[in-house]
Amino acid sequence: MTRATTDVHQSPFLDADFIARLERLEIVSRKIFQGKMRGERRSKRRGESVEFADYRNYVVGDDLRFLDWNIFARLDRLFLKLFLEEEDLHVNVLLDTSASMEWGKPSKSRYSRQVAASLAYIGLANNDRVSLYAFGPGLTYELAGLRGKRQLPKIIDFLTRTECSGISDMTAACRQFSMRHPQPGILLVLSDFFDKGGYENGLRMLLGRKFDLYCLQVLSPEEIDPKLTGELRLTDVEDEDVAEVSMSRALINRYKHNLQAYCDTLRQYCTRRGISYLFSSTDVPFDQVVLTYLRRKGLLR
Amino acid sequence: MSFLAGWTAIAITAAVTVPPLVALYFLKLRRQAVPVSTTMLWRRAVEDLQVNAPFQRIRNNLLLWLQLLILLLAAFALGKPIFEARQSDKDTLVLLLDNSASMNVEEAERQTRLDVAKRQARTAIDNMPDGGRAMIISFADRADIVSAFDTDKQALKAKIDEIEPTESTTRLTEGIALAEAYMQNLIIAGDQKGQDIEVKSSAGPARVMILTDGNIADAATLTVKNLPTDNIEVVGIGDRTDNVGIVGMDATRRYEHPETLEVFAMVRNFGDSKVTLDAHLYINDDHVDVQTMTLEPGHLPPADKPDSADTGAAVVDSALPAGSVASVAFDDVQYEGSGIVEVRLQVDDALAADNKAWTVIPPPRNVAVLLVSEGDVFLQRLLPTLPISLETVTPAEYEQASEDDITVGGRSKYDVVILENHSTDRLPPGSYLFLGGVPKIDGVSAGGLIKDEVIFNWDDTHAVLRYVAVDTIHVFQWLRLNLPSSAQVIMEGESSPVMALLYQDGRQYLISAFGLIANDDVTGEPMLNTDWVVKAHFPIFVYNAIQYLADAITPSGQRSIQPGEPMEFPVEKGVTTVRIRRPDGFVDRIDTGEQPTVTYARTRRAGIYTADPVPEARAKVAVNLFSDAESDIAPRRKLTLSGEQVSAEQGIRRVNKPFWPWLLVAMVVVLAIEWAIYSKRVFV
Repeated sequence: MTRATTDVHQSPFLDADFIARLERLEIVSRKIFQGKMRGERRSKRRGESVEFADYRNYVVGDDLRFLDWNIFARLDRLFLKLFLEEEDLHVNVLLDTSASMEWGKPSKSRYSRQVAASLAYIGLANNDRVSLYAFGPGLTYELAGLRGKRQLPKIIDFLTRTECSGISDMTAACRQFSMRHPQPGILLVLSDFFDKGGYENGLRMLLGRKFDLYCLQVLSPEEIDPKLTGELRLTDVEDEDVAEVSMSRALINRYKHNLQAYCDTLRQYCTRRGISYLFSSTDVPFDQVVLTYLRRKGLLR
Repeated sequence: MSFLAGWTAIAITAAVTVPPLVALYFLKLRRQAVPVSTTMLWRRAVEDLQVNAPFQRIRNNLLLWLQLLILLLAAFALGKPIFEARQSDKDTLVLLLDNSASMNVEEAERQTRLDVAKRQARTAIDNMPDGGRAMIISFADRADIVSAFDTDKQALKAKIDEIEPTESTTRLTEGIALAEAYMQNLIIAGDQKGQDIEVKSSAGPARVMILTDGNIADAATLTVKNLPTDNIEVVGIGDRTDNVGIVGMDATRRYEHPETLEVFAMVRNFGDSKVTLDAHLYINDDHVDVQTMTLEPGHLPPADKPDSADTGAAVVDSALPAGSVASVAFDDVQYEGSGIVEVRLQVDDALAADNKAWTVIPPPRNVAVLLVSEGDVFLQRLLPTLPISLETVTPAEYEQASEDDITVGGRSKYDVVILENHSTDRLPPGSYLFLGGVPKIDGVSAGGLIKDEVIFNWDDTHAVLRYVAVDTIHVFQWLRLNLPSSAQVIMEGESSPVMALLYQDGRQYLISAFGLIANDDVTGEPMLNTDWVVKAHFPIFVYNAIQYLADAITPSGQRSIQPGEPMEFPVEKGVTTVRIRRPDGFVDRIDTGEQPTVTYARTRRAGIYTADPVPEARAKVAVNLFSDAESDIAPRRKLTLSGEQVSAEQGIRRVNKPFWPWLLVAMVVVLAIEWAIYSKRVFV
């Protein structure tokens, strides 16, 4: 945990150049959600913006202010002009802060926080409603409902304060999250998805809440291509489970094969359910993830 | 392939080392703790591979297999595997190594014959079965036991390496005798105490291996008593035949001009090609003269060789090819002082030891002679004419003279004391010429008188009798001499020696059984005993005798000795240690033990030996090879031992080529592979 703090203080999460580039981006939702407040997003609701959306027949009780008088003059029929409602977008980031995220160099934790900070900033810059949640055994920290660029220090502060500890329990975390936040929106889950309880239940719960769901699986190079040799006693940093192994080429190959299979299963699970799945190793620069991968996936524009 | 050490060694080694190795793999010691983000995937991988199952682990662990292979290779190497094992059933081996002068011949690859013989000997040792015994004897002019019976092959081989070359002649008799004596000891030692010694002993018959180039001087007279000839192998060493050597040399002062030296050297070509060479004369290392000479080939093809040559006997006179021997003479060499005369042959041949010869010449001097006589007109007239300083006393005066009058420094004051018709025990160390008398010493006595006999045999090659026509001498009567066996008889009557040389306790005696004057039996008046005194060669004899006795250095009377022969140095009183500098620069110290002379026998190198402190005239002795048998380096392929011909084998075949070095090499290779695998982390 001290290491997390050190990491955080080593360099700012986001540097000025990068922030400048982030400002040109905006978060795109594949779904149109109902916002809470007026914002810059198109809403499902027809509303009062300047942007024309549609016509419909007048029914008694409609606001006469929205009648199209020109049409009425030409056709002698009453049509009501509908305008797009622009509302704010809920941008939620669910950040895994279980002990396993602290592992690897650079740690997956710092990496995922940087991605979270980037996304939060983009959201803030576009006047979206940004909420950050950290989860371990359950939801551990939250920072909800921030709007406006001025809130960036709060976000940074929040990300700095959150500590990585405990066993990850995605199911519990997702249940808590979806119960507390019925508002749909964009949800980015940042995790290694190494959950002995399984990730499926948790994701299903989030899907049930109709989130536009993005999963970013962050793994460290040590996990992807372990350089272990000899007779080892492998200890799980989360639950201190011990596995005695004799390293061999075959075992490592087997491990890689299993990891690949695990990631493939996760990806298939996601794609089948309309969840965008992204995979990243911590040796890929995080700005590349933000500027390239997320854009390619359509989360950012 | 078989194993010298047997399967037991392999089994024990494997039993001791393999189980611990496997156990180590099972116990697997301490595992390194490594934190990982999740053990989930590892567990799954481990479960997939089932690595924790013991036999699977072993099956999959190449390193273990490689290490097991290494252990097995080492175990097999310990078993001393050998190829083509033709083990001798005889586990006792006697190695006789020739280290005489001819073994110094450089053969191929600049190895001397001795080096080759040593290599062969080592092979023979290697060929022995484990537990076999071997004894090593080196032989030249005498035999030395290099190593008594030993079973330790490494120690034996180390002893073989210690054998040093000599420049001596070759005699095998002593070596064979030693081997037989040791075999006897072994047989006795091998039996139980108190039981009769039977012929079939635990020792078993020994294999005798003689490594020689075949130039054995005493091969013809060699007898092998206890060793069966079947068990004797002769390994012939050497191929070269080209050699030119000095086989004789002398340097004398001209009688009438003592400052003039005459140097002779006899040079012989033993090779099979014509040789032209330069003979250089050096005096005290200063170049004086050079002569060029050409020698015809002296080596005959084996087929034309007389039998005697093939049997290894010295070929001296038998049918030398014409022109292969030549003498070189350096006349009129003006040199007054004492010094060393050296003749060097400038020739590139196989053996270097015989290309140089030395002679020590004393300075010209007046020999001090004491004549002890009742009055002998002949000697009294003759001796003053010789270049000597003479004193004359009567026997009575001699006996009564004080010690100081006749001795100086514990030795006789005179170079030669001539005693006529007088036997005495007053003999301080020195040289004595007895005429009609005997020294009263152990082993020498005079019996009655012998009359009417003729001198029947004599050695006219001896320096004392040179130019003396003994057959013209008539002697009326002489004493019956009883002499010890060490005496050298140079003139013999029908029933008794007449003249003999004896060297004993640092004193040299020339004993003549007759005097010049004898008392008549009837009248008791002195009368002439021999007509020699009126012959022309009598003065020559007297001069020879004085010269010989005054100059004589060695028991043999030669100014130079052959390598291996002992040399004696007179010692002055009070000297406790004599240092002797050998030709190779090594200095030996000898304790005199208050004796009047010291004997030095480490003379197996040719050259000049210098003693200090010793009277200067006798401080230097030359050792020269002067041996036709040694200089004739052509190897003999047949030896006659006890009348049986033994053909020499050409080298020893390595019968049991050891295989273990290859096993060790394989082990190292496997070890390297294992290391490579380990370091590359290719663990399968």
